[in-house]
Amino acid sequence: MTQATITMSDLRKRYGTTDVVAGMTLSIGPGVTGLLGPNGAGKTTLMRMLATVLAPTSGDLRLLGLDPADRDERTEMRRRLGYMPQEPGFHRHFTAFEFVDYIAILKEMTDTRERHRDVRRVLELVGLGDVAGQRIRKLSGGMRRRVALAQALLGDPELLVLDEPSAALDPEQRMRFRELASGLGQERIVLVSTHQTEDVAALCQRVIVMHDGRAVFDDTPAQLSALAHGRVWIADQRDPRAQLWWRTAEGHHRHVGDPPPAAQLVEPTIEDGYLLLVGPQAADARVAA
Amino acid sequence: MTWHVRPDLLERYARGDAEATQAYSVEAHLPSCEHCRGQIAALVDAGRLERVWDDIEEHLDAPRRGPVEAGLIRVGVPDHVARLLGATPALRLSWLLACALVLVFAAWGASRRTEGLVVFLALAPLLPIAGIAAAYGPDLDPTYEIGLAAPMHSLRLLLIRALAVLVTTTATTAVASLALPGLHWSAAAWLAPSLGLTLTSLALATRLAAPAACGSVAVVWLLSVAIGGRVTDEPLLVFGLAGQLTCMLVAAIAAAVLARNTDSFERRGGIA
Repeated sequence: MTQATITMSDLRKRYGTTDVVAGMTLSIGPGVTGLLGPNGAGKTTLMRMLATVLAPTSGDLRLLGLDPADRDERTEMRRRLGYMPQEPGFHRHFTAFEFVDYIAILKEMTDTRERHRDVRRVLELVGLGDVAGQRIRKLSGGMRRRVALAQALLGDPELLVLDEPSAALDPEQRMRFRELASGLGQERIVLVSTHQTEDVAALCQRVIVMHDGRAVFDDTPAQLSALAHGRVWIADQRDPRAQLWWRTAEGHHRHVGDPPPAAQLVEPTIEDGYLLLVGPQAADARVAA
Repeated sequence: MTWHVRPDLLERYARGDAEATQAYSVEAHLPSCEHCRGQIAALVDAGRLERVWDDIEEHLDAPRRGPVEAGLIRVGVPDHVARLLGATPALRLSWLLACALVLVFAAWGASRRTEGLVVFLALAPLLPIAGIAAAYGPDLDPTYEIGLAAPMHSLRLLLIRALAVLVTTTATTAVASLALPGLHWSAAAWLAPSLGLTLTSLALATRLAAPAACGSVAVVWLLSVAIGGRVTDEPLLVFGLAGQLTCMLVAAIAAAVLARNTDSFERRGGIA
C-alpha cells in the first residue's frame, strides 16, 4: 500500500457570505486522525469535501494524489474511498445484507459471488454477521450505525472518511469500533470526525481541532491535554473567576483556568485542553497556545 | 466404533473422486468417528475446502429477492442491475398501483365524455416523469449521499431507473388504453409525448434537480395541451400528426443534449 496522503491548501467552502471552511491548509497521512470541534465548526463540510460529495469554493485539494475536480480522477478516487456520512440514510425495506450489497453495486462490484463475500466480510467486521438477514427497519440505532460503517469498509479502501461513526454506539460497541479503526489505521488514512474526546484519546495518533472553519490545533492527543497542563484544579467551592468549571460526581468543583483558593492541581485530560480551545474565552487560550 | 474407512477411500473422498454410494457411507460415518475425522483432515485440500464453504455460505446467506427483483432477473436483467432497480421508489408496488388507479379513472372518464380522452392523453405522459422525479435526489433517495461518494456515476443510476420507470408506465398505460372507447389511432397518441417528455426531463435534470426538471416539463406540457386546444378549438391538436412529429423531434434534441451534458449532472450537485 502506498504512503498516500490528503493535502489541502487554503481550502474554502462558502455558503452565501459565510466561509464554513475558511482556509484550511493541512497534510494528512496514514494513521487515525481525529477531527474535533463544536457544532457548526465546519467538520462535516470538510468531511464532505474529502469524500468528494461537495466541491470546494476555492483552494487546492488532492486526495491520494488525485484531483477530485477532474471527472476521471474523481471516479478513480472514489474507487479507493470509504465514506460514512453523519446522517446515513437507508432503504429500510432492505435487510442489512441487501443494503450493503446495494452499496457494493454502486461501488462497481458486479461479480455476485465476490461481492457477497465482501458483504459478509464487512458485516462480520462490525459484528453484524448474525443479523445480516434482518430488515433495517427492525435494527436498533446502534446497529444501523454499524451497517453504515460496514458499507464504508467495502472493497478495503485506502481512505476512510467517517463522520461521527461512534455516535449511538453503546460502550461495548464503541470499544469494538476503536479496535477496528485502530487496526485499519495501521496502513490506511482513517479520518474520524467526532464529539467524543475519549475516542480521540483512545484511538487517534493525531487530532485536529476546528473552530469557526479553521484548524485551531493540530498535534497529538497528548499535546491537546498538555494545553491545560497546570490549569486544571479541583476545589470544594466554585470560583466565579474560573474560565470553565463543573461539578464532579464526587461533589467537588473542577475548574479550568487560574487556581481558585484552596484548590488542588490535577492532571488535565484531552477534554480540558479541548474546552480551553473552543469554550468561552477560548480566543485567549488559543493565543497562549 | 468397530471399523474405520479405508485410507484409499478417504483419499478419494477428500479429492471428490469417490462414488456416490461410497461418499454417502463416508459422510454417515465421519460425524461419529474421531479417528477418521483426524485422518481426513490432513488429506483435505485447503483451497477446495474454502470453495465448498464459500458455496455453503453463498447458499445460506444470499438474500431472498423481492418480487420486482426476482421478476427482473427472470426476464434476463443482470442481478446487480435488478438490485439497483429494487431500490427505486417508482418501481414499488404501491407506486405502480397508484399509476394504474390514475389510468383506470382517466380511461373511465374518456369512455363517458369526449373531453375525457384529452385528459387521458395529457395525463399518460406525466406518469413516467413523475416516476423519474421520485427516482433520484437528495430528498427522495435515502442513500443519495453515500451514492455520490461511490464510483458509479449518478447519471447512469438515474438513467437505469428512468428506463425501468418508462418501461413499466408504458406497459401500464398501454393496457389502460385498451379500455378506451373504440380502438382508434388516438389510443396510442400518448406514446410519442411520453418519450419526448421523459427525455426532456432527463436533459433538464443535468441543470436542475430531478423533481424541479420534471415539474417544469409537466407544467409546459399541460399548458401546451390547454392552449393548443383553446386557440384552434381542436382539443386533440397536440396529439395530431404535427404534434407527434414535434414530440419525436423534441425527444431527439433532448437525447443529444443529454449525451453532451453527462458531466454537468454531477456539477449541478456541486460535486465537480
